Amino acid sequence: MRKFFPVEDLARDERFNQITMNDRMADQRTAITTDSRPSRAANRIVPSRGDASDAARGLMHGIFVGEIQALEGAGRTCWDFTTGEEAPFELKLDMARQCWDEARHVEISIKLSDWMGSEIGEYAENTVLFQAACSNDPVLRLAGVNRALEGLAIDVFTTMKEFGEVAGDQYLEFAEDWMLADEVTHVKMGSDWLRKITENDPERRKKALDFQSVVDKLFSYGGTRSESQESPIGLARRFRELAGFDDQEIDVIADLSLAALEERKAAVLEAQAAHN
Amino acid sequence: MADAKKPRAPFAPWDRRELPGLFSVEESARRVGAYKWCELKLFEALGGWIATVPELDVKMRLGAHCYKHAWHAELWHKRLPELREMNPDRLSVAPNEDMVSFIAALTEPEAPELTIEKLVGVYRVFIPHFISAYTFHLNNTSDITDAPTMRSLRFILQDEFEDWRDGEMLIQSLIETPAEVDRAAAHQARLEKILLAAGGITGSGTIGFNSPKHEGVMA
Ligand SMILES: [Fe+2]
Ligand SMILES: [Fe+2]
Repeated sequence: MRKFFPVEDLARDERFNQITMNDRMADQRTAITTDSRPSRAANRIVPSRGDASDAARGLMHGIFVGEIQALEGAGRTCWDFTTGEEAPFELKLDMARQCWDEARHVEISIKLSDWMGSEIGEYAENTVLFQAACSNDPVLRLAGVNRALEGLAIDVFTTMKEFGEVAGDQYLEFAEDWMLADEVTHVKMGSDWLRKITENDPERRKKALDFQSVVDKLFSYGGTRSESQESPIGLARRFRELAGFDDQEIDVIADLSLAALEERKAAVLEAQAAHN
Repeated sequence: MADAKKPRAPFAPWDRRELPGLFSVEESARRVGAYKWCELKLFEALGGWIATVPELDVKMRLGAHCYKHAWHAELWHKRLPELREMNPDRLSVAPNEDMVSFIAALTEPEAPELTIEKLVGVYRVFIPHFISAYTFHLNNTSDITDAPTMRSLRFILQDEFEDWRDGEMLIQSLIETPAEVDRAAAHQARLEKILLAAGGITGSGTIGFNSPKHEGVMA
């Protein structure tokens, strides 16, 4: 088996369709819709939103494939690096623990998708999460996956948990709450290892934090996640604090997300003006 | 009411624990170091394979099992300093070169069509050898002096039995043709031959016998 596994080779059965980030943004059925008319003041996934069920199902499928890739990425970090030389033994133990957690998240996601009435492969799979797990520096993987993407997972699960609460769907609320607990643990692993490994290596720390903000920005594309009600997904400040983010770091992500939202609104207005 | 002053035998009549055991502190530490190395190699391989298997149920099982073997490696890592090995890395090594070759052969399969080979290597070869090595240790060490190792062995053995059953059922469910039976058997035989030369998880004498290679039977 090779060290470093290319994203194109991720093994899937015939139900799965893999696509790029741009393809996904163009899929009208997903929660992350391109339909961002300024008149639509509240995009947040709440039961009162007209297309709430569809949006929630699409988001759930996104979570499901994200969990598979998180599982694969954590597993590859156990394999790709020489223990003790390229990655500490204890870091690998954490990654192995994450494998078990993500495997349970895949199981939970399948049960939840069933519950919400969608099927495996009904929506496309965006493989960008695994791409962030392909870095040849384990610290960059932890920054990109554990801090940026699983930070986003905290936001997503909090939004979905609230959706379950408001909709009176205890099954959904229960499952999201448990996954949220695990994700806080994973983000904290990222925060702790980033600090520990780069303690005396400011350059490597900067590189990792830069990579994290690239991934954060990528996922803020179109303002999908922000503190504005116009974004489908909120920013879960309290859980991020538990996971080792400080106030300043959360503010940066909040600003980044809002800027991305404004950018998309401006682009939509421009496109509409050109059309009229 | 019991007489608080009445002497009692320190070992109750039903307590059959004995001294001495078969292993010195050094031998126990050597074995524990080999266990750690093998468990480490196993969890690394299981982690690496997750992305390479298309079967969703297998993918998830590998994730759960990866953690269990990492936990075993951690238990052994923590036991080493208690056995006077203050630099655990010194003993966290393969028992011999044949074991290194075994790991190389075990982790060779990568293609998505080779799930049977991946599982056979782990669940029909490696894990049964873990079960033997751990059982031998459990049955031969002193249950007074080496009780902490025995406690870990019992927890770990429970995992190994459960994982072996999981893996065996996955293999049985994946094998659908006589040709696949042959494939599984051929891969198992290939790996077993390398392990035969290695003598088992801790090398020659893993379960009390010298390996044929070390007695000069095998070239
Ligand atoms: Fe997860
Ligand atoms: Fe996670």
